[in-house]
Amino acid sequence: MKVFVDSTRCQGHTLCSMIAPDAFQLSEIDGTSSPVSEVVPPELQDAVREAAQSCPEQAISIEEMSPSDMTRQGDSR
Amino acid sequence: MRLVDDAAGGGPAADDDRKKNRYYHFDRHTPEYRLQFEKITREMHAKCPIAWTDTYGGHWVAASSKAVFELARCPAVSNYHDITGQTPYQGITIPKASRATTVRGGILEMDEPEHSIYRGALNPYLSPAAIKRWKPFIDEITRAAIDEHIESGRIDFVDDLANVVPAVFTLAMMGIPLKKWALYSEPTHASVYTPEHSPEREKVNQMHREMGIDLVNNMIEIRENPRPGLVNALLQLRIDGEPAPDLEILGNLGLIIGGGFDTTTALTAHALEWLGEHPDQRERLSRERDTLLDPATEEFLRYFTPAPGDGRTFSADVEVEGTRFKEGERLWLSWAMANRDPEVFERPNEIILDRKGNRHFSFGIGVHRCVGSNVARMLFKSMLTAVLDRMPDYVCDPEGTVHYETIGVIQGMQHLPATFTPGPRLGPGLDETLERLQRICDEQELARPITERKEMAVIDW
Repeated sequence: MKVFVDSTRCQGHTLCSMIAPDAFQLSEIDGTSSPVSEVVPPELQDAVREAAQSCPEQAISIEEMSPSDMTRQGDSR
Repeated sequence: MRLVDDAAGGGPAADDDRKKNRYYHFDRHTPEYRLQFEKITREMHAKCPIAWTDTYGGHWVAASSKAVFELARCPAVSNYHDITGQTPYQGITIPKASRATTVRGGILEMDEPEHSIYRGALNPYLSPAAIKRWKPFIDEITRAAIDEHIESGRIDFVDDLANVVPAVFTLAMMGIPLKKWALYSEPTHASVYTPEHSPEREKVNQMHREMGIDLVNNMIEIRENPRPGLVNALLQLRIDGEPAPDLEILGNLGLIIGGGFDTTTALTAHALEWLGEHPDQRERLSRERDTLLDPATEEFLRYFTPAPGDGRTFSADVEVEGTRFKEGERLWLSWAMANRDPEVFERPNEIILDRKGNRHFSFGIGVHRCVGSNVARMLFKSMLTAVLDRMPDYVCDPEGTVHYETIGVIQGMQHLPATFTPGPRLGPGLDETLERLQRICDEQELARPITERKEMAVIDW
């Protein structure tokens, strides 16, 4: 799974980091969010889905990866 | 959204066509609106999620989550307030205040690029990281406010707690002496709940003027001898090399006070009232607070929506969600009604402490997201957890409870008396605590922005 935060939409509501603190980091200056890592580790995926649903600005998008994508990614590491 | 070329040319017939099937008598300043909020909201969601009402000179009302979401982010929707009154741009208030308006409501009545210039000065004082530094300080204000009443077994959660903590903390962030909190708190709350025609109004206006004078005096003092805080942030701001005009600085300070006091008070009082009526939920929230406090806070925000909406003005002819709007028309964005939309919130009229997908509208949507949202959450959680710890069996007194008669501006409460099993004091009373906190604030320069100071406040007594 990959996660993206649209910086033109995010207004720093901070719900994402409240729900998935290990997946989103907030700007110290204005609280706007960015993913800690674009690729979401399996143990955080449920929380990231919940964060995306809870975003008041609908600024978070998720790309579910197919098993073959994940294999390729595993290979490249 | 699409811009409309031909709507402006339309006569009355075209006007009727635009508003056809969208008429709804909407008057949020009446007690009936408060009492029938759920019914009116359901009706508007079903029949006219974007409605036209003839009240207050005529204006649009966005009630559904989709309409509010799109219109709040629409570039043809303006917050600008023209204080000359020469144009339809009347900022966020509908109707405009009857007393003469001389100052705009700070960043909330500005559009880009001006809005971002001022907001950029405020953000580093109000970001999540900036507010987190104050936690021990806030908890001490809460502790002292509760200590004043803990031995007696009686408290008014509004007068004695929820009015005190936000006021003291807002002054701390601003760089204004903490001991002046009552001078600021009373008129700020009273001017919201006292109707314009009330005999009390002149007294409230007088208190408001005294607060304004003190604010100006602080501004002058800080200009001469800078001390950290939001007042200084606005004084140091340069726009094209020039200082910001004094009236804009005052407008922003007024917004910080008006936005910071009554809303957080309203949230805290309503949540405490509800938890008092649902002791099983209160006990669960206390027990499971590690996981439940965050979602419960968001749920109280959604359900009670302390700031129920904002006015706007269309700055161009535009079509949004199938409705054509004309430049100059006024619009009410109802955060409160969007928060009860079943399209987004399952069982919208119930409080579900662990609600999922709670993308509520209570801090607004778009670039004007409440700049103090992190303050509100921190203050609320401090007060709520202290009450759960120290007065876990409190019982509110419905006879003495006073809700604001109308919720057109703030869905607030004036009194919420409660009784509980008395307990021991944990430290000095409020006045002495504020003296000590003032010293800490000054010595540790707590009101500096996050860019200049990262450390947590240290309570050193």
